[in-house]
Amino acid sequence: MNSIFKIVQGRLAASALSACVLSAPAFALTDVLDTPAMKSDQAADHLLLDVATAGANFVAVGARGHIILSDDDGSSWQQVDVPVSVMLTAVHFPDSSNGWAVGHGGVVLHSNDGGASWVKQFDGNLANKSIIQQSQDVVSELEAQLDVAAEEDLEDLEYELEEAQFALEDAQLDAEVGASKPFLDVFFQNNRVGFAVGAYGFIFKTEDGGQTWVNYGDRMDNIDRFHLNAISKVGDTLIVAGEAGVMFRSEDDGDSWETVDSPYDGSFFGLIATGDKNVVLAFGLRGNLFRSEDAGQTWERLDTGTESTLMGAANDGSGKISIVGNSGSVLLSQDGGRTFSESVRENRLGNVSTVYAGGRRMLMVGESGLSVTTPAGENL
Amino acid sequence: MSDANNQATGSAHQGVGAGSVIERIIFTNRPVILGIFLLLTAFFAYNASQIKPDASFERLIPLEHPFIQNMLENRDDLENLGNSIRIAVAVKDGDIFNKAYMETLSEITDELFYLSGVDRSGLKSVWTPNVRWVEVTEDGFQGGPVIPDGYDGGQVSLDTLRQNILKSGQVGRLVADNFKSTIVYAPLFEINPETQEPLDYKQFSLELEAKIRDKYEGKNVNVQIHIIGFAKKVGDLIEGISAIATFALITLGLTFTFLFIYSRCLIGTLVPVLTSVVAVIWQLGILHLLGYGLDPYSVLVPFLVFAIGISHGVQIVNQIAVQQAHGYNPLMSARLSFRALARPGILALVSDAIGFLTLLFIEIDVIKDLAVAAGIGVAVIIVTNLILHPVTMSYTGLSKGGQKHAKKVDMSEHKSWRVLSFMAHQSVAPISIVIAILGCAIGLYYQKDLKIGDLDKGAPELRADSRYNLDNDYIISNYSTSADILVVMIKTEPEKCATYELMDVMDRMQWRLENTAGVESTASLVSVSKLVTKALNEGSFRWFELSRNEAIINSSIQRAPSGLVNTDCSMTPMIVYLEDHEAETLERVVDTMEDLIEEYPSENYEFLLGAGNAGVEAATNQVISKAKNIMLLSVYAVVSFLCLVTFRSIAAVICIVTPLALTSVLCEALMAQLGIGVKVATLPVIALGVGIGVDYGIYIYSQLEAKLKEGLPLQDAYFETLITTGKAVSFTGLTLGIGVCTWIFSPIKFQADMGILLFFMFIWNMIGSLWLLPALARFLVRPKKVAA
Repeated sequence: MNSIFKIVQGRLAASALSACVLSAPAFALTDVLDTPAMKSDQAADHLLLDVATAGANFVAVGARGHIILSDDDGSSWQQVDVPVSVMLTAVHFPDSSNGWAVGHGGVVLHSNDGGASWVKQFDGNLANKSIIQQSQDVVSELEAQLDVAAEEDLEDLEYELEEAQFALEDAQLDAEVGASKPFLDVFFQNNRVGFAVGAYGFIFKTEDGGQTWVNYGDRMDNIDRFHLNAISKVGDTLIVAGEAGVMFRSEDDGDSWETVDSPYDGSFFGLIATGDKNVVLAFGLRGNLFRSEDAGQTWERLDTGTESTLMGAANDGSGKISIVGNSGSVLLSQDGGRTFSESVRENRLGNVSTVYAGGRRMLMVGESGLSVTTPAGENL
Repeated sequence: MSDANNQATGSAHQGVGAGSVIERIIFTNRPVILGIFLLLTAFFAYNASQIKPDASFERLIPLEHPFIQNMLENRDDLENLGNSIRIAVAVKDGDIFNKAYMETLSEITDELFYLSGVDRSGLKSVWTPNVRWVEVTEDGFQGGPVIPDGYDGGQVSLDTLRQNILKSGQVGRLVADNFKSTIVYAPLFEINPETQEPLDYKQFSLELEAKIRDKYEGKNVNVQIHIIGFAKKVGDLIEGISAIATFALITLGLTFTFLFIYSRCLIGTLVPVLTSVVAVIWQLGILHLLGYGLDPYSVLVPFLVFAIGISHGVQIVNQIAVQQAHGYNPLMSARLSFRALARPGILALVSDAIGFLTLLFIEIDVIKDLAVAAGIGVAVIIVTNLILHPVTMSYTGLSKGGQKHAKKVDMSEHKSWRVLSFMAHQSVAPISIVIAILGCAIGLYYQKDLKIGDLDKGAPELRADSRYNLDNDYIISNYSTSADILVVMIKTEPEKCATYELMDVMDRMQWRLENTAGVESTASLVSVSKLVTKALNEGSFRWFELSRNEAIINSSIQRAPSGLVNTDCSMTPMIVYLEDHEAETLERVVDTMEDLIEEYPSENYEFLLGAGNAGVEAATNQVISKAKNIMLLSVYAVVSFLCLVTFRSIAAVICIVTPLALTSVLCEALMAQLGIGVKVATLPVIALGVGIGVDYGIYIYSQLEAKLKEGLPLQDAYFETLITTGKAVSFTGLTLGIGVCTWIFSPIKFQADMGILLFFMFIWNMIGSLWLLPALARFLVRPKKVAA
């Protein structure tokens, strides 16, 4: 789908790109990555991309660096200070106080007070630097190996070196464009270890609560650099799903990734563990929904009755699962994600993420901001 | 002035003097004079018949204002933004998914396709192939025209159509949210590429009515058609202007009747009417000779000229009746009347003219034109009324019946004038003053709500309940669209209109604007870029963001609508959709935008305000609000100065100007309460009202002063004033009122507003001079001192 962008990411466009970059801004406009989000009355009604629970609080993130907070089950919301004004695409709180939000420009924000305040930990410029460094290290190491290599290994090593040099050039070109790649999802196992995944095969891991991030992109077999749209964990297995049906699993906390034989060649946008052992759902383009009972090794297609793209899901912990998507679609399962019934929200607007709140309430976020609904998507 | 009136009142008793040189020249060469008038009138009548309606947009706007200059400089690149029409075809019963409706819609689309002036390539409706549904699939985009292949009007086809429409993203644009109407959108050619003829708005508008609305509402009774667009509005306006001819006839008839009832003499009615018509002919002829046309504003000047002509004519008729009653022959009566009225008449008319000329302070051509037209009109009246009128009357005289009636009325009216004379009584005067102060206080209180600019929704030129505005309401409430648009123009070097630097700044500005009260939404290349970037990433909302990768930006705007970027990418507009066009909204948004321009300076681009109807109105409002006080100050300064020079007394100035000021205050309060803003149409009214209103005071005061000089006590002097001048003044006020009151029924809103306000000012100025002036005189004028 984003083949146009893929090409320009490649070497062919190298000269054109550097020409663009050379005509850089002549005056000092603060970059969006350093510009605090503007406070707006419309924050709760403007495009929001994810909502999460943080203990008793709910936190939603969205366009223009908006983060809004509710401590009353979603009845009232307050916009909090955020140091960036790029779109935030995902948020996750592994415990009630520590949470991370990610977004465009490769930005990672951290809160240690349940979402009330946020600091920037990482962004695309740092990501680019770290990838360049990593690529250079690879190149240096291969060069060193080449010096002492046996005759029969030379050809392979030279080929590897060439590949590594290309990777380095790519990384340098990316750096010239700037922090342009968005993160699209974030997942923390605890308040130390977490992953951020995103466009063009972006995947970074931290083991120190976000202080330092390491590129794990080279540990996946994603040569087409497809977008990685979602990351989740079922049991001890991490699963990443993305564009064109790519899917990866890891059973060693991300150190190595196995490519899953995907049941689908369209894009996945979300993953959700149902709560049953090793049961996980993957969903995406045009109402496609799959269920795995072996932590993502094999998948079976579920009938949804909708052709709307499915974007986000929530689990109430007692077998009830809601999946929301484009054009007002809401899928509801009462049996732990075995069967779903579809309803369409009256306004037909798209929703991207959802979460269960107290009582029979759902919080949905999407193109018109936040709405409080029943699990079937009716307005409350 | 006082001398003139002294002479006027005294002349009847003095007998036939020699009179002035001018008087002798005029009255000893009457046939020559009449011949000259006849020739000139024929000449001007020919020219008047050549005068063209001139609805030029440019004359209505402040051309010197930077907003307007920016707009005109970028006019070529902005053209695509504006000139189009939208036809909403609504279904009365049920929804649009039925065979009959779809058939009618298809026929209307075809009909428009062949209508001259329509840019066929841009025509859009559910039935045109350029309206498509798109879907993201595993293999990329899939799409097709919304009308399914093999459409047969059956339930299956209609269901597919419904699905396609939902997938087309046209709900809210071409299809109403409630599925009860759809829009046929047609861009228009300003210049027809085949014939090179400019679009004839009137003709086009008439064709829309006949070939679309009437035809298809007749054909399918379940269908209702709403049409909006600049071309339709202009067409309706031009049609509205032609209603003026009817008003002219009604005014003529009303005045004639009123005059006849007043004088009971056919000659005494016909001569003033004909003389005033001659004045109008001259005025129009001279306007044409000077190269002016008749625009929707200056078309009202002939009414004023006619009314002023009548009111002065009546005084001449009145004088002649008095002289004839004293036994003079028609010629002598006419001469005596001329002698009595020439000087005060000229003074009054000159003060009118100077009042009008203060309008030249306003940098809007149409108002300057109005000042010129009114100035010419008044100058013409000096000649026609003061020469042609008495000369004609010197042949005809007044009929015996008329004279008798004049006498009879004199007697019968005395009683009521006697009552009115108590306004100068020492116990009534204070009450009047208190009432005036109260009135002024109330006026000032309500005047606080007075707004600058147009206040009504929709097209402010037309009435809120006009068909155009009803259509506009319908479309605005059923579709995501706004009629009030501010366009910010952004200029760059060629090929630099879509750099990340600029797009980032535009994005920030748009969000700030969207957070400004009164802004509904904004649109620009940035909006397109975000939308397409999202679409190219499989419709995921997580990609609805501006990329900092210029290659991505460029590919995302490749198919941007032509109005959003010019051919060499050196100009791109930022479009701000507003909730309304009230002055406060415009001011707030313009201020925000100006702050933003200062906040984000760069050598690489330039943000320029402001095109679109809101830009034009914002500029006009700025000019108007600046001009308003200058104009008021100068018109009052001029009037006060004239009074001071004439009467050499501060007391006189206060007596004459205070009632005017009260009227001005009350008029503004009335405007605030009626929701009439200070705008191009109403600002001149203030000057016209004061300029003409001062006549009453001048006439009354000069007569009063004359009587006081004769040694009469104040109330008696005032009674004497009332039965002569007072009568004329009240008649003048009523005639002027009649002259303008027909405009109240104009289909053009601003003409109606002008009618209401002028009617109010003419009547209230008259009341003020008859009621408040004597009360003030009671306190300010010492009769004994005047007599001495």
